[in-house]
Amino acid sequence: MTTDNPGSRRRPSWRLVAPIVATLALLTPLAWTWWQSLLPDHYSVMEFGYVDLGGGPPVTHALSPAQGRSVSTLVADPERPADVTYTLTAREQSFHLASGERTDGFTINGNSPGPTLRVRQGDLVEVHLVNASVPDGVTLHWHGVDVPNAEDGVAGVTQDAVPPGKTFTYRFVADHPGTYWYHSHQVSHQQVRKGLFGVLVIEPHRPIRSDGDVVAVSHVYDGKATVNGHTGAARVGASPGGTVRVRIINTDNGSLSAWVSGSSYRVVAVDGYDLNGPTPVSGKAVLVTAGGRVDIEVTMPTDGGGVRVDLGGAAALLIGDGSVAAKPQPTAFVDLLRYGSPTSIGFDPGDADRQFRYSIGRKPGFIDGRPGYWWSVNGHIYPDAPMFMVREGDIVSFHIENHTNAVHPMHLHGHHAVVLRRNGDRATGSPWWIDSLDVAPGDSYDIAFVADNPGIWMDHCHNLPHAAQGLVAHLVYSGIYEPYRVGDRPSGTNQPE
Amino acid sequence: MRTTYRVFAYLIAAAVVVQAMAIAYALAGLGKWIEDDHGVLNKQVLDNEDLHFRGSGGFALHAIDGMMIIPALALLFVIISFFAKVPGGSKRAGTIFGLIVLQVILGFTLHGVPLVAPLHVLNAFIILGVAIMSGQRAAAATSYAPAEATPQPAMG
Repeated sequence: MTTDNPGSRRRPSWRLVAPIVATLALLTPLAWTWWQSLLPDHYSVMEFGYVDLGGGPPVTHALSPAQGRSVSTLVADPERPADVTYTLTAREQSFHLASGERTDGFTINGNSPGPTLRVRQGDLVEVHLVNASVPDGVTLHWHGVDVPNAEDGVAGVTQDAVPPGKTFTYRFVADHPGTYWYHSHQVSHQQVRKGLFGVLVIEPHRPIRSDGDVVAVSHVYDGKATVNGHTGAARVGASPGGTVRVRIINTDNGSLSAWVSGSSYRVVAVDGYDLNGPTPVSGKAVLVTAGGRVDIEVTMPTDGGGVRVDLGGAAALLIGDGSVAAKPQPTAFVDLLRYGSPTSIGFDPGDADRQFRYSIGRKPGFIDGRPGYWWSVNGHIYPDAPMFMVREGDIVSFHIENHTNAVHPMHLHGHHAVVLRRNGDRATGSPWWIDSLDVAPGDSYDIAFVADNPGIWMDHCHNLPHAAQGLVAHLVYSGIYEPYRVGDRPSGTNQPE
Repeated sequence: MRTTYRVFAYLIAAAVVVQAMAIAYALAGLGKWIEDDHGVLNKQVLDNEDLHFRGSGGFALHAIDGMMIIPALALLFVIISFFAKVPGGSKRAGTIFGLIVLQVILGFTLHGVPLVAPLHVLNAFIILGVAIMSGQRAAAATSYAPAEATPQPAMG
């Protein structure tokens, strides 16, 4: 850059100043944004983000033990003996699917899916979780069961992850009959995909009217779609003319379409809650939200023919011994907003104490120093998410909007909400209670619930990689203190997503 | 520094070509997986990170190249252009950076609006053209200005 021309002696330095200034002008805001996004090694989910009161009165945002009751005290009656006890042992291992293919992943009691737990309504269920060999640690989240907060199984929010060689005991009353599932909520986007889950069925006091009651748990292992661990078709028995309840559980990250060949069907329950006045369906598929459950009831043909329940087109449950031709996937879906008959929901959502907005978008930026085009909640990217603050007894409504081009199966822990409106259209069918709701691109939903289960509850996308990319917020009760910490350094600490 | 500028211009052009090759490989592999191996692609399988078939790596390569490598190259290219003193060099580097930002936006949008996909392809050709032109203009500027022709050490 030196020159022999004495007349331009000052030019070289000036010629460097402009490019350097331009470079700094370009890089400084980037570096500052990057620096600001770095997360501490360990932090409470209560210390990040901002308080959202939903237009309601102020609450106690407990940041120290003196200000509130600890999450760890929110348990089932410790004096009450258990009615039913299970031990579930989690392992990292290579294992065989029910149909024989070998895969690497995680098992519970040696298999994946883990054992199907069938308990009776009102039972106090006690589950001893043993981590035999999962290096990152494990937890069990009782997906859809509105358990006491300390039993919710979210690493870093309701407990510490259980390291290899350690155990943790969950206790809760199975008070609402229906179809549920359990899965790890530690590094869940990997552990669930690789098999750390199982089914929980809470049977009602009075036995179900159906002649048969079967589980159809759908999961993709290593790119292979399965039902009850079988690739292709799995067969279960049924007698001609009988009715069979099929409990479909979607354990994957994407929505699942299910349809029936050989019979009409009725959608009898969604997310563990029975629908009122379900009518026969034919020529339509039913969509099962990621993490969600749909119970359908089929009637077996009296001529000995079989019934086929297709799950996404790659796996199917064959019911009965007879043959049945597989129908192609119908293009129409059952619209749960208009299915069945209305009945009381037990509260007045028009009288909501707090009205929150959960608007999902996408923004470029950094999360913990990583650049990306991240999911945002109400215009903020992780960890600057809203804390939806409520008091016990509040009637709460959420307006959920999806401004992205991906479906988001939104899952609220610890509560069931009722769907009021979709894109402004009022629900006219059976009360549609959900814990997992598919919000399609461009759609909006209004849902409502009663805040009746104190604690700190995740409200996140159950497309689990999306949650790991920051599509997470929390529902926080007034005066509840968070004793646990989230953090990914050193590895093996609490990483709920 | 002009040589560095030229190298980055051609690196961006090459990375755009890699994008086209990667996505073609992935789509051909997907077709074969469905035709020959009875693979079923649905929402459930699409959202599973374990989806493997010959060619599936093309999707990953397209994503990494398009969202990380090319934007990083374009940002460095803009910075290099400040120092390279190629006539109109910063203007062209800035144009390429802007087109790449647009390309990423189009890449996300086409999933919801398939008609955007042809625009994504058209924009790729424009980026390729501007990148090659930038390299050629820098070479021309170099040959007209022998005093500046000595290659400077590459920065970084």
